[in-house]
Amino acid sequence: MGESSDDIDQMFSTLLGEMDLLTQSLGVDTLPPPDPKPPRAEFNYSVGFKDLNESLNALEDQDLDALMADLVADISEAEQRTIQAQKESSQNQHHSASTEASNFSGAASLGYGANVTATSVSQYVDDLPPPPADPVLDLPLPPPPPPPEPLSQVTGGATSRASLTGSKLSFPWSGLQLVVKVHMDDNSTKSLMVDERQLARDVLDNLFEKTHCDCNVDWCLYEIYPELQIERFFEDHENVVEVLSDWTRDTENKVLFLEKEEKYAVFKNPQNFYLNNKGKKEGKETNEKMNAKNKESLLEESFCGTSVIVPELEGALYLKEDGKKSWKRRYFLLRASGIYYVPKGKTKTSRDLACFIQFENVNIYYGIQCKMKYKAPTDYCFVLKHPQIQKESQYIKYLCCDDARTLNQWVMGIRIAKYGKTLYDNYQRAMARAGLASRWTSLGTVNAVTPAQPCTGLKTGATQPNGQIPQAVHAASAVLEEAQRQAETAKEKRPAPGNHREPAAPRAHPAPRASLPPPPPVRRSSDTGGSPAPPDDFLPPPPPPPLGDAELPPPPPPELADSPPDFVPPPPPPPVLAGDPGSALPPPPPPPPSLRPECAGPSPTVAKRPPMPPKRHDNPGLPAGGGSGEQDFMSDLMKALQKKRGNMS
Amino acid sequence: MAGMKTASGDYIDSSWELRVFVGEEDPEAESVTLRVTGESHIGGVLLKIVEEINRKQDWSDHAIWWEQKRQWLLQTHWTLDKYGILADARLFFGPQHRPVILRLPNRRALRLHASFSKPLFQAVAAICRLLSIRHPEELSLLRAPEKKKKKKEKEPEEEVYDLTQVVLAGGVAPVLFRGMPAHFSDSAQTEACYHMLSRPQPPPDPLLLQHLPRPSSLVDKTQLHSRWLDSSRCLMQQGVKAGDMLWLRFKYYSFFDLDPKTDPVRLTQLYEQARWDLLLEEIDCTEEEMMVFAALQYHVNKLSQSGEVGEPAGTDPGLDDLDAALSNLEVKLEGSAPTDMLDSLTAIPELKDHLRIFRPRKLTLKGYRQYWVLFKETTLSYYKSQDEAPGDPIQQLNLKGCEVVPDVNVSGQKFCIKLLVPSPEGMSELYLRCQDEQQYARWMAGCRLASKGRTMADSSYASEVQAILAFLSLQRTGGGGSGNHPQGPDASAEGLNPYGLVAPRFQRKFKAKQLTPRILEAHQNVAQLSLTEAQLRFIQAWQSLPDFGISYFMVRFKGSRKDEILGIANNRLIRIDLAVGDVVKTWRFSNMRQWNVNWDIRQVAIEFDEHINVAFSCVSASCRIVHEYIGGYIFLSTRERARGEELDEDLFLQLTGGHEAF
Repeated sequence: MGESSDDIDQMFSTLLGEMDLLTQSLGVDTLPPPDPKPPRAEFNYSVGFKDLNESLNALEDQDLDALMADLVADISEAEQRTIQAQKESSQNQHHSASTEASNFSGAASLGYGANVTATSVSQYVDDLPPPPADPVLDLPLPPPPPPPEPLSQVTGGATSRASLTGSKLSFPWSGLQLVVKVHMDDNSTKSLMVDERQLARDVLDNLFEKTHCDCNVDWCLYEIYPELQIERFFEDHENVVEVLSDWTRDTENKVLFLEKEEKYAVFKNPQNFYLNNKGKKEGKETNEKMNAKNKESLLEESFCGTSVIVPELEGALYLKEDGKKSWKRRYFLLRASGIYYVPKGKTKTSRDLACFIQFENVNIYYGIQCKMKYKAPTDYCFVLKHPQIQKESQYIKYLCCDDARTLNQWVMGIRIAKYGKTLYDNYQRAMARAGLASRWTSLGTVNAVTPAQPCTGLKTGATQPNGQIPQAVHAASAVLEEAQRQAETAKEKRPAPGNHREPAAPRAHPAPRASLPPPPPVRRSSDTGGSPAPPDDFLPPPPPPPLGDAELPPPPPPELADSPPDFVPPPPPPPVLAGDPGSALPPPPPPPPSLRPECAGPSPTVAKRPPMPPKRHDNPGLPAGGGSGEQDFMSDLMKALQKKRGNMS
Repeated sequence: MAGMKTASGDYIDSSWELRVFVGEEDPEAESVTLRVTGESHIGGVLLKIVEEINRKQDWSDHAIWWEQKRQWLLQTHWTLDKYGILADARLFFGPQHRPVILRLPNRRALRLHASFSKPLFQAVAAICRLLSIRHPEELSLLRAPEKKKKKKEKEPEEEVYDLTQVVLAGGVAPVLFRGMPAHFSDSAQTEACYHMLSRPQPPPDPLLLQHLPRPSSLVDKTQLHSRWLDSSRCLMQQGVKAGDMLWLRFKYYSFFDLDPKTDPVRLTQLYEQARWDLLLEEIDCTEEEMMVFAALQYHVNKLSQSGEVGEPAGTDPGLDDLDAALSNLEVKLEGSAPTDMLDSLTAIPELKDHLRIFRPRKLTLKGYRQYWVLFKETTLSYYKSQDEAPGDPIQQLNLKGCEVVPDVNVSGQKFCIKLLVPSPEGMSELYLRCQDEQQYARWMAGCRLASKGRTMADSSYASEVQAILAFLSLQRTGGGGSGNHPQGPDASAEGLNPYGLVAPRFQRKFKAKQLTPRILEAHQNVAQLSLTEAQLRFIQAWQSLPDFGISYFMVRFKGSRKDEILGIANNRLIRIDLAVGDVVKTWRFSNMRQWNVNWDIRQVAIEFDEHINVAFSCVSASCRIVHEYIGGYIFLSTRERARGEELDEDLFLQLTGGHEAF
């Protein structure tokens, strides 16, 4: 398995490289630029997994198949396009090189630092003249080591670029990667690569693209420990690999992708957590309603001050006694500094309280069926334990509440105390993301083209390569601001797809851009008026649109050109327009970094291309030289893929 | 013009004699007598007075105070008739700005000129401008508590800083000069004053702390709030005299736009107020929280002290703390290099030594046994002997994420490190016993860094070692020997007394040598903070306390027969049971429709949404103070970032002022 997986990695990377080229070339002709975001995710594949946690996530053939299937689908699709494009585009050949470059640079952020990237690219070329294809086929190297090497170069490029652009996100990364099997709510599973730097938020975005879900804020990654019967959500800012690395090799723990309204309940109905006065207890749950404005001010008051306000929470809970199945009722209080209890015979004034636990070294989990397992008085249990503890231990603390409402209050209160403002920031990002999604959907209805979903998560692998890097950059810087803006607007209108405040105005869309890949594509789109590729560019963010995924991609060029800009990230556009693809965009280097790893080919192309004529041809063949090379490469790939498939099946 | 006479000397213009005393209210003040008519304008009268006095002096700040009516005659175009002044009026011609001694939040005394004629709100704004504290609306003045007479003992002469000579250029935003607002840089004296304002003070003498009055109940906590001065009236009207002592405090616990860069004085004074709140038990906290507060104080104090040495006088610690910290670190590195620290500073981050190890287990009586211990990166391995080191260790522990707890007794020469190392099966406990302080400090620092996932190659390693050594020496000089009679704060440079960092009730509860390790433990989490970060963290932790920002008043609710406590916070009113201290009911300002004060029966009535009406009369303080507190918070909630520091004074006075007859 190990070897084959390596091969597959290699193949992926080459494929990706190819895809990049293809899309780019296509872009010239028909479509705008590729989208940045999705690429990211795919990108990772190229890197290859290390064996670190292989046992954990032992790749199953199915998984691999699934991954491959995705890729192949993308590729074949791309191929078709390419063929078409080739016919059309042979004229524009010289464009292609420049275009590519421009795409990348655009993506990166309007091409600043283009020079730098360019250099790195060229180097790359030298080093890796034989495009990825070769490595793939030739280098079945031992699983872990091989990928890293090729990658390392890439990484270097990426890093340098990162410094240029100042973004840290989602660059290709040669570090630890895991293939994670995520269980969906329909009992199916999806496998995806998660690299060492990805946060839960990134993985969620990734999954959004893959699943076409509605992207609402309730979606979360969820870890469950069947053995301990506990579970919890990943907080969006948590590093996924880090969390998973605490699991043991033979663990039964799982990662789920599902909707949990508890995740951000406090931000939807803060009054349920903050205005739960003791006096009101008799009032039961009558205090559910609160107008939006009051909610907002309550949130602002609680989360935006110099310090976050932890909900006042106290009451009797049952505590499981260490190592026994007996439960003791005690009066507990939540404070920002930890959970305290009132010792026997004392009052609940601050000076008498005894510290039960502080949050620094523990995570909070829901306990499942503790009534059965531990004879808990009720099933509303929460559990505090050090994340590294995986087996039953006296260091795991079990607490039991009287009812579900109390349980949710405690869990949320503890999360607020532990994570503070980060929680709110996470929520705002999630809102921004959700807002984007709904916006896209709405757009989709309006404009069939858009829905193209070009980006749609599925294709992921193929399209993304180009845009990917740029996205990262933009996303990094812009996301926050946008998120805020988004959140504001989203709050009010999020659900209604149709109403954008300023549907027409580009401004209205900034949010989408931010979160999504950078808009560089836009320019090209105008220039090239690409068909298939463009979707990628624009769409990356809006995976949700239910419309045909792949089918739609080729929206009429003109439309795309115009419409995309609006939604899409406006920032890049100016540069785009600047010139005809070629001349104006000389500094396209940015893309290469991302690409390089996988597709050594493309980047070289950039460097050498200028002279080359036909976009497509050139692209494929790039490194090797000329279109012919490309062709070979592709066919090789396909052969390899087929072989692989054959093996598996 | 007034004073026309006939030849016989009779006045024919209905003019009369007005006597005006010159100077502040002083029965023996010199006086001048003027001839005026009812039509004379105040401006004219002023001129005449000056002529009459016939002394060369700047009279521009002088104005007339009408004693009986307790009123300044500031409208120079008004006539005497319009003011209603007759010959029997007792008028004083005196300065509008007079010196007062302010007790700052950091408990230092400062003499400066305050306006006695403008509403307190403006006077405070002017004071804050002088002190370069932004957002003066959050502060106000209190009367100093009356001193108990039994305190006749010699009170040590305290240093009073003086800013009476400083004149502030009007209108312009203060310019920074040599790291401080320009008006402070005139003389060494004012410079020292600025340092006092902008740098945290050393911890107080624990003995003093024990003797300062502390509230023992909620009722005691209401006392403070009875002393607030009225914002809409001037100091003169409130009976304040020149030279009186007043307290300057943050009154409203809603700190807007706190920015360490532009607010060094504000931040520091806020920190000081928070610190004293905690030390004097105005606000309660738990033991664990107190240790964090103590550790932060220790850290802040250390940084501010070393900062003075390390940086040229005059730079602002608030702005240059990073530099200070860096130079501080440099000094330490240089200083420690020649010693046996050297080996731990070399390139390879690794410690190896013979240590005694103890693994507590059930049913085990074994004690410490000596092992050869190797500490590399974040991993600790131990072997039976040095010879076996290349082989497999007896146990290997990755300390990442572990808990490190010091178990030290300096006088007993016990230097243990307790490690709680998480593993999938639970936590494993391990004790390392070191031979001496040096060894302990190195290993301890390594363990601490490792627990945070860093290695000994980390740049903070050396400073961590130093901090541990410093704390050990603290423990030696501090409570180690003299037990209940700790030395003063300035016993030695590092010889801080832990009793100066915690509220007195913890002094009674713990011995200094118990306290020190706990503070040290808490300190490890904050040791990397800069001065301003540490102050900010302190303030945040203070704000996170459940009882933060509640001002207490004793009131009697309408229809109730017993006194109760009303707590006023920045977003809500709280009804609290007087005896038990339980919260009975909370009303949020956001649900408030209106509030009214019936000045005749001294009752405050508040209407909330859904027709909830609340009325109470105030017992411990005048209802005007309660009214102003509520109005003040409403006012503060209207602030917006966009408006910057502009103050809508009218709105404030409208919200807080009353129709009470003066």
